[in-house]
Amino acid sequence: MPRIPRSKLARIAAIIVLTVAITALVIGLGSRKNLQPKHYVQLILDGFRGGSIYALMALGYVTVYTVTGIINFAQGEFVMLGALISISVYNMPLPLPPAARLVVAVGSSILLTTLIGIIVERVAIYPARLSPTVTLIIITIGVTITLRASALLIWGADPYVLPAFSTLVLEDHIFRFGGVTLQAQSLWIWGTLAVVLVLLYVFLEHTITGKALRACAVNRRAAQLVGINPSRMSMLSFGLAAALGAIGGIVMGPVTRPIYDMGLMLGLRGFVAAILGGLVSAPGAVVGGLLLGVVENIAAGVTNPTYKSVVAFVIMIGILLLRPQGIIGRGETGGEQ
Amino acid sequence: MKTNRMSLVLALLMVAGMVLAGCAQAPPATEAPPATYKIGFNSSATGTYATLGLPEAKTAEMIQEQINAAGGVVGPDGKKHEVEIIIYDDENEADKTVSNVTRLILEDEVIVVVSTTGSGTSIAEIPVCQENQTACISMASAKPVTSDSESGTEHKWMFKTPQTNGHAGAWQAAYLSAIGISKVCILHTDDGYGTDCLANFKAQAEAAGLEVVYEAGYAKTDTEFSAQMAGVEASGCEAVEIGSTPPVASLAAIAVRTAMPDMPITLGHGVCNQPFIDTAGAAAEGTVFPCGKVTVIDEVADDDPQKPVLEQYIADYTEFTDGESISTFGGHAWDAVMMAVEALSAVEDGASLEEQRAAVRDYLETKIVEWPGISGLFTFSASDHNGLGKDSLLFVKVVDGKGVAFPESEW
Repeated sequence: MPRIPRSKLARIAAIIVLTVAITALVIGLGSRKNLQPKHYVQLILDGFRGGSIYALMALGYVTVYTVTGIINFAQGEFVMLGALISISVYNMPLPLPPAARLVVAVGSSILLTTLIGIIVERVAIYPARLSPTVTLIIITIGVTITLRASALLIWGADPYVLPAFSTLVLEDHIFRFGGVTLQAQSLWIWGTLAVVLVLLYVFLEHTITGKALRACAVNRRAAQLVGINPSRMSMLSFGLAAALGAIGGIVMGPVTRPIYDMGLMLGLRGFVAAILGGLVSAPGAVVGGLLLGVVENIAAGVTNPTYKSVVAFVIMIGILLLRPQGIIGRGETGGEQ
Repeated sequence: MKTNRMSLVLALLMVAGMVLAGCAQAPPATEAPPATYKIGFNSSATGTYATLGLPEAKTAEMIQEQINAAGGVVGPDGKKHEVEIIIYDDENEADKTVSNVTRLILEDEVIVVVSTTGSGTSIAEIPVCQENQTACISMASAKPVTSDSESGTEHKWMFKTPQTNGHAGAWQAAYLSAIGISKVCILHTDDGYGTDCLANFKAQAEAAGLEVVYEAGYAKTDTEFSAQMAGVEASGCEAVEIGSTPPVASLAAIAVRTAMPDMPITLGHGVCNQPFIDTAGAAAEGTVFPCGKVTVIDEVADDDPQKPVLEQYIADYTEFTDGESISTFGGHAWDAVMMAVEALSAVEDGASLEEQRAAVRDYLETKIVEWPGISGLFTFSASDHNGLGKDSLLFVKVVDGKGVAFPESEW
């Protein structure tokens, strides 16, 4: 392990040196592949798009982890359910114009997935709440397999299509400027992330329930002593995580082709993003997600894209070994009580 | 006490009834009924290759029903033998493939095995089939499934029914040369199918005098392709070959269309099912790829020897599955299982299992000649356990959301 400089000045100097070194490496590798500035802009833009989805997923991990101490590996399946349920509802022959159908589809998908999250907590987690955390984590893996297998039975093995939000058909608007392309759906994804963050902030900071949830995250025993029911909060955290997952699945639906087994890799990437952010902080999760998306994309762009998934997991191992409190954490470790 | 006595009486009555019924039905009892012949079937009905493996499993179920409705297979003894197809799912995981095939051969004692969907998993089963001297017919396309990569000879007990990526690569190279392309990029999934596409597309392209200037992989679950697109743009290639199956094939095609709207795109025959066109939408328009004839039945000439077989299969499968769409993969299963069923006609009732298995293998290698199947006109030989040529595929272009025949005269 490298010696970390003690003084603030040395630390800033180290960060600058590191940044310059990495930038030089990236540009060096990129020039060997003949990459131009517009390619970097494209890589960063698309990285932010993928990163926003990781951020939403990471928020789900953080919500459950801080309140219950559980790493909920079923988070990716909530994303899958959100996407597939919204598609099923959208394709129902409702006597509504397409835009209204989409709104109904989005609303009912979020509600249903939230309900599934709550049911999962009540059926699988609550009865085992007195077991060690490891047992509960293993249970979430069981939940993952159950949800994925159920999805295969319901939706079959074919990929589905959710129309782009702006055009309401499969083909999206594409903005082009100077050789860089941007799909209109990317704007929807960023907008959604922003709105979710604001709502989450208002909920956690300005409502009694939100404050109770935070109290539970800070110290479960103390929260119980002031009359907060931790079991209710655990249920709420799963519902919230499921809703966040569903929102992620829905907004990314038009840029992917949702399929029953999409949750696994997404879930793992979201987990890496949460780890980057230290697992206990919501802003950390968002920064972690965005950073992962961009770093992954640039690394893939300047090296061989085949290794894209490798990048994410190398980052995860590196962070867990060197900075388990996350890159923007202030040194506090896990929410375990 | 009372209930006990009552149940005793009832039980006695039932036994008596069974004995009487048995007496009434007892046949003259001269010889045993013809043995049931067992075929082992294993595909990836769930897991990452479920889109391929599920229609395969359904096809096997359908054939089992059809054969037995017709009374079974006529053996050399002139008697009809029922056929039992034992169906397993390996979830596209090599360890499950190996254990399923081992179980079929050793425990279920099947005469011939049809397995499996993926190329990687099919390669994993080779030692099991070879050591236990049981013919295994694979539904995967990669060359190493039947041929030894070092000696170049065919594995004695391995056969496969799909058209290979070599056939697909030959079509692509021929087309791209014809339209005046000299530099190509190859994008592929980093799985067994994708890497086999890369190897074959590259070999065929270079053989046709094309230069492969960029190649890049991605995971089956990837949704962002800007890294690959930057590479494609920077490399200056004039056409992109994509070696993937949907949904990622659709996303890759969309990415190419978004970044470079005029770039010609060719794909492998792994996209020849409706989900590709459905999930790629406008991006699929104008893309070209070779396809098994079953997916483009309307485009197949009436004098094609495969046409009657194709039409029958499509009608049967549609009825059996209540109108599910036809895929080329179910066709690979149809060929494999029907060949196995036909080979069972060479099996002597009462011969040892080893002899029966050898008889099936020899039948496949010598008697499957100009055999019209779904995937082509098969002619197996000791040096060719795939038995197909480039003309087993039909070159198509997507026009108005539908693949239409795109013969060389129109290039």
